[in-house]
Amino acid sequence: MGRTVPTYREALDGLLTRWEREFGHSLADPRDREAFHEVVLAARRYIPQGTMMTSGDLVERVLLSLLVDLQRKLRAPDPGPFESEIDAFGNLR
Amino acid sequence: MPRGWLLDVTSSRAGDSVLLWLKEMQGMVHRVEVPYAPPFYVTGEPDRLHALGEALDGRRDVASVAETAIQSSPFEAPDVRHAALAVTPQSHGRRRSLATEIDALGACVTFRLFDVDLTASQLYYLEHDLYPCAPVSWSGQHVVALEPPETWDYVLPPFRTSELAVEVVGQRPGRPPRSTDPIARVRIGTASVEGVDETATLAAVVEELRAQAPDVLWTRGGDTFDVPHLYHRALVAGFTEEEFVLGREPMPFGLDRAGSTFVSYGRIYHRSPSFALAGRFHIDLDERFVEDVTMVGFLDVARFSRLGLQTVARQSPGTAFSAMEVATARAQGVHIPWKKNLPECPKSAALLIAADRGGFTLTPPVGLFEGVDEFDFVSLYPSIMVHHNLSLETLECPCCPDSPHVAPGLGYRSCTIRDGLVPRTLRPILERRLYFKRRKRETTGAERTRYEDLAKAWKWVLVTSFGYQGYRNAKFGRIECHEAINAYAREILADLATTAQREGWTVLHGIVDSVWLKPPADADPEAFARRISAQGHLPLGYEGRYRWIVFLPDKAYGLGVAQRYYGLYEDGEFKVRGIELRRGDTCGMVRGVQERVLKVLSQVRSAAEFQRAIPEALALGHAAAAELAQGGWSREELVLTHGLSHRLEEYRTFSPGVAALRQLKEHGITREPGEEVGFLLADRRSQDWRRRAVAAELMTGSESYDAAAYIELLARSFETLFSPFGYTLERVARTWGHDVQSTTPPRAFDRHSLERPGQRRLTVP
Ligand SMILES: [Zn+2]
Repeated sequence: MGRTVPTYREALDGLLTRWEREFGHSLADPRDREAFHEVVLAARRYIPQGTMMTSGDLVERVLLSLLVDLQRKLRAPDPGPFESEIDAFGNLR
Repeated sequence: MPRGWLLDVTSSRAGDSVLLWLKEMQGMVHRVEVPYAPPFYVTGEPDRLHALGEALDGRRDVASVAETAIQSSPFEAPDVRHAALAVTPQSHGRRRSLATEIDALGACVTFRLFDVDLTASQLYYLEHDLYPCAPVSWSGQHVVALEPPETWDYVLPPFRTSELAVEVVGQRPGRPPRSTDPIARVRIGTASVEGVDETATLAAVVEELRAQAPDVLWTRGGDTFDVPHLYHRALVAGFTEEEFVLGREPMPFGLDRAGSTFVSYGRIYHRSPSFALAGRFHIDLDERFVEDVTMVGFLDVARFSRLGLQTVARQSPGTAFSAMEVATARAQGVHIPWKKNLPECPKSAALLIAADRGGFTLTPPVGLFEGVDEFDFVSLYPSIMVHHNLSLETLECPCCPDSPHVAPGLGYRSCTIRDGLVPRTLRPILERRLYFKRRKRETTGAERTRYEDLAKAWKWVLVTSFGYQGYRNAKFGRIECHEAINAYAREILADLATTAQREGWTVLHGIVDSVWLKPPADADPEAFARRISAQGHLPLGYEGRYRWIVFLPDKAYGLGVAQRYYGLYEDGEFKVRGIELRRGDTCGMVRGVQERVLKVLSQVRSAAEFQRAIPEALALGHAAAAELAQGGWSREELVLTHGLSHRLEEYRTFSPGVAALRQLKEHGITREPGEEVGFLLADRRSQDWRRRAVAAELMTGSESYDAAAYIELLARSFETLFSPFGYTLERVARTWGHDVQSTTPPRAFDRHSLERPGQRRLTVP
């Protein structure tokens, strides 16, 4: 399509790779590593919304993603209709 | 005056006239030759044009040069004319080369050229208010269409149709024919043509075609094999092009035309050379742009695009749409700027959408959901283009600074005064498709099938019309237009999600023009769709309710993937995206087992039943795994197919695909990027190219295969379907009593293949 600007997904991939290499990699405590992994997931979860933002830089979009994810976890865990009717252990909800 | 149909307009061999192929009501086909030499146009500084005119005058390849004035841009008012030279080449064949020469004379900047890549037949149709397969009456060279191309219901010409298939000596399944293989027999319709020797067979083929006189000759793979092989053998046997005629008029054999590879949207496409005929349509069913488009559909698209049936059937819907824009522009008097080096339009329409990252998508929640409703906007993007008058020349026009049509987030305004070229082209298509869809609902049997085919063909054209806007080399594309359409679409979908939530629906998923919503207790989805349609001026359709739908995760992060799900509608139909059986690189064995699993799941009505069905599904896999392990599975079912993005020499890493390519090369067979290679996995751990895999063409059917590798592939397909419920690859394999030794899939290349949109396999380089 003749676009040379990377998409948000591509830019985020680059950023997360750098974070992993320069930061995540040196986390020794397994709990830190898990937390870092959750940060990566949180950033990736909101790629569609980040893509749809027409303004703002890369870090702003990532920060927004992380904040929303954090806020979501701080609230009472009430996934309601967003939860699969069969869980990850094969059990009915 | 005789009446009948104008089947086709083709260029004469001399290139200074066109041949009109007219079919009488009674079936007789007439060939009427009409002198016709359309000029192309050159604009520039008047003195430069004058000098150019003098330089061209008297050249042997120039029939005439005349000074004139033309309308050269859709951006300008209709009365603005620019000084131009009308250059008429001495033959149609010289059109492009002469234009290239003129362009070079002006160092590519002095002159602008117009109408260069329009064909003589296309221009003839446009200038004479004719179109392919028009019902006509005629006297001498004067042909008049009896109805406009826009007519909704019309009588198809009574085509006489034959299938053509060539069989070579020593032919057997799996063995690729060589150019040295003599022809054993040729099937034409119900006749099997076979002479005492090959020369006699070839002569009999020409005779048989003359006797059967088909209007349509259809083949499976005729562009890549049957026709070029016939030509090649005819050449070897000493036939001339005048003697060996498959159409109604001698054609150059054109055997030097090589298939071309072109890159678009970062993907590689392979195009076979095409072997069209004169006075007779050669339709190669394997070369259709989309598999499910039929003759009826091609014909309707041909009417609008003024491209002949053979072109429409072979080219992408984007080419047809572009030709329709050309027709709209020419009807307004605007000449068509020549874009040099215009690559072929991307073949697959679905990929244009898929490749575009600017659309609305959500990350769906992973897992199974009961009672989900799906809504789709009908022709969303084209409707937006029409509703907001989005076209290259109507965007940011100087006349409407206060236009209410402002692209959300971008601020691009579009004109409220002038009707854009793109909307003008799209509007009749949208109306046409809606009409066909309505008639499909109102009719039954053959009539219904016909309307369905017609609606389908236009669906592809409409889908491409959007991607085409952002296509850099499109004749009337403009990237801002593309962005504006996306911006409107995103807002429409986001608004829909907000409205739905306010009314108590849960938004589970959304992609481009579709949403998946979980309804509130007393929901009326039909009424909801009608309400939204009325509010937004864009028709929202209710696709139906799923008994259940499973959104699947990506394997790296476990997050939902937009285009990977399977669900069962209440009417018992499945909708399936992104799983193995939809992918082109899946082997028959995996596809077959997955189909049987879906069959089991098609009886499932609830989450509880789904949970109970999983063991039954796994048992199917277990039985298949046991049979695989015994080594007796049909080899053909185990052939994996991979698209090629490189030539053999260019692959750096060793893989089964590379092994197969090397084996083929040893047999003198080469594969080009864009083509595919099929192989059986023989020993996935072997580093020896003779042992790692067996190229499909060289299989005997009794070689041993790597059972563990195939069991792993099978287990992986179960993981795809059931991973949200805890069934990992390892767990599935363990259930079957196998240990998975490797966690890397036995991929042919480190590239992933995409889902097939219609039929064609595409690879991400
Ligand atoms: Zn305006």
